[in-house]
Amino acid sequence: MNRSGQQVLRMLALVPYLQGNEGVPVAEVAREFGVTPAQIRADLRLLMFTGVGEYAGELIDVDLGALDADDVVYIRDAEFMQRPLRLTSAEGIALIVALRTLRASATGAQLAVVDSALAKLESAVGGEVEAPVGVHLDEDDAAVRATIVDATAAGRRLRLEYVGAARDERTVREVDPQRVFVEQGRRYLEAWCLRAQDLRFFRFDRVVSAEATGDPVEDRTVAPRALGDGLFTVGADAASAVLDLDPAAHWLIEYYPVDELAAPDVGDGRRRVRLFASDLGWIRRLVLRNAGTVHVVEPASLRDDVVCWARSALDAYSDDDPTSQE
Amino acid sequence: MNLIFTLLSTRQYLSKEQLRQAIADYRDSSQLAFERKFERDKEELRELGITVETGSNDKYFDDEPGYRIRRDAVELPDLALSREEAAVLGLAAQVWEHAGLAQDSMSALVKLKAAGVTIDTDVVRMAEPKLSANEPAFDAAWDACTRRVPVAFDYRRPGQDPSRRHVQPWGIVSWRGRWYLTGHDTDRDAPRVFRLSRVVGEVTADGAPGSYEVPDDADVQATAASFLPSSPDRSAVLRIRRDRGQGLRRSAESTRALSDDLDEVVVPYASGWDLAAEIASYGPDVVVVEPSDLREAVVDRLRAAVQDAS
Repeated sequence: MNRSGQQVLRMLALVPYLQGNEGVPVAEVAREFGVTPAQIRADLRLLMFTGVGEYAGELIDVDLGALDADDVVYIRDAEFMQRPLRLTSAEGIALIVALRTLRASATGAQLAVVDSALAKLESAVGGEVEAPVGVHLDEDDAAVRATIVDATAAGRRLRLEYVGAARDERTVREVDPQRVFVEQGRRYLEAWCLRAQDLRFFRFDRVVSAEATGDPVEDRTVAPRALGDGLFTVGADAASAVLDLDPAAHWLIEYYPVDELAAPDVGDGRRRVRLFASDLGWIRRLVLRNAGTVHVVEPASLRDDVVCWARSALDAYSDDDPTSQE
Repeated sequence: MNLIFTLLSTRQYLSKEQLRQAIADYRDSSQLAFERKFERDKEELRELGITVETGSNDKYFDDEPGYRIRRDAVELPDLALSREEAAVLGLAAQVWEHAGLAQDSMSALVKLKAAGVTIDTDVVRMAEPKLSANEPAFDAAWDACTRRVPVAFDYRRPGQDPSRRHVQPWGIVSWRGRWYLTGHDTDRDAPRVFRLSRVVGEVTADGAPGSYEVPDDADVQATAASFLPSSPDRSAVLRIRRDRGQGLRRSAESTRALSDDLDEVVVPYASGWDLAAEIASYGPDVVVVEPSDLREAVVDRLRAAVQDAS
């Protein structure tokens, strides 16, 4: 919808709102409507030229004295509109899809609240509303999810058994939950890790088990990390490697933090990138996982490492034919 | 605005001429300009979701049709929201990171506040999901789905040149932060799923709104589910070094110690291709015992890694 359409929608909601909140400060109106106080003043000036007619008593009257002296709003002669309009289908669909997204990460009693809010919302929309929009989140363990969400809400310390993405290891750590969020369709916990003495993200589907320790979280003033550029921020100490990607591996470019480099044109559709990660071990695993379509250009040490791992794995298959051993 | 207020405050149908007399801007215009303004304003009302009823006050006289807005059809009914439900709606309004949809959510919330609903999001503590949509084709796809408009667009599959596709959209689905369009591909006469980030250039309308039917839910769900991972229907027997292969151990059906530093782990799986990739990434720490086709898939992958260096 264009800007003037938005303004009309807002003014039509202002009329009933101001009648129900006599003497409300301009700053509060602006906050509730998500615009600047100057915009609310502009809306009020326009409202004074509207009404059911053009004579005194037919036009909406704004108390300018109170507005100028005390920054508060009183309106009169607007009894013809005491309720806001129904939601437009665009407004309805936006909120319905948002509620479905909330529902996907809700647990227990929250589900019932989201469902009843959804049902009531649908009745608030004028006309039929079709919202053919689905939101899928990855599956994770419902018990783990409930424990984490409840502990976050109650401010309780958690003991997590966690499988990290970078290194092939399982760790047990105590963490103080800060918040739970969903990014790229996956649920994450942001928590202060007592072992690392720093804020860490934990992906729900990598949590093997979670239990509340019974202790409350410690009071710390830590700002949540900004998620502007996603979860992966490329620090100065990040490891990196130059890789050539066959067409079958081009999807990696969209999934991971890479800088695309000029590739020597050999006509087979290869693209050359510099890929960043927390350590080279992670990149080695990525290359092995996509062996044949991802090729290491540099560093040479990584290239050697990949070959060394692949050779010793192949040895395990040739030395020992496990099917005949038992 | 004046047209809305005037039509809202009347029980009678008002004729065009009565409206012209009542509203200064209309009255001061020439007949032609008035007609144009009136049509434009009615169209604007329609966009705001306000239906203007036409009818006659007296069914026995064939007089000029009149206009009015029925209060009960346009006013927000009392939703009787509990504190928790109101809070959940407040949280929902913060989900969208897409500018247009965030604006739509906000103006919906403003209407609820205008109806006297108090929204305090601290009443409930829930996860804070965010939905963004950075694909340039998103707005057009969203619009096409909600209004059932057939569309045409150029679509590029990885490693191929873009080709023109003609689709009757069924719905759009978000998965792992990406948006997919599902629908009936009329050229192929079959259901298809399109990743919106692979749409090249503009999505254009290819027919009238509502000119096709969306099949029942089951078909739409099945199509959308086709790109989600399927559930495991097979098991692999693996030998994993103690404390290694943690990603695989998480999904293990059973684990049995073979020696001090080796476990036999049974892992259910659906896609041999995906599992072979995962196993290869652990190098010598994980070895496939059976099935043999999985063994071969892993060995092929490892050989490819070795050949690469030579």
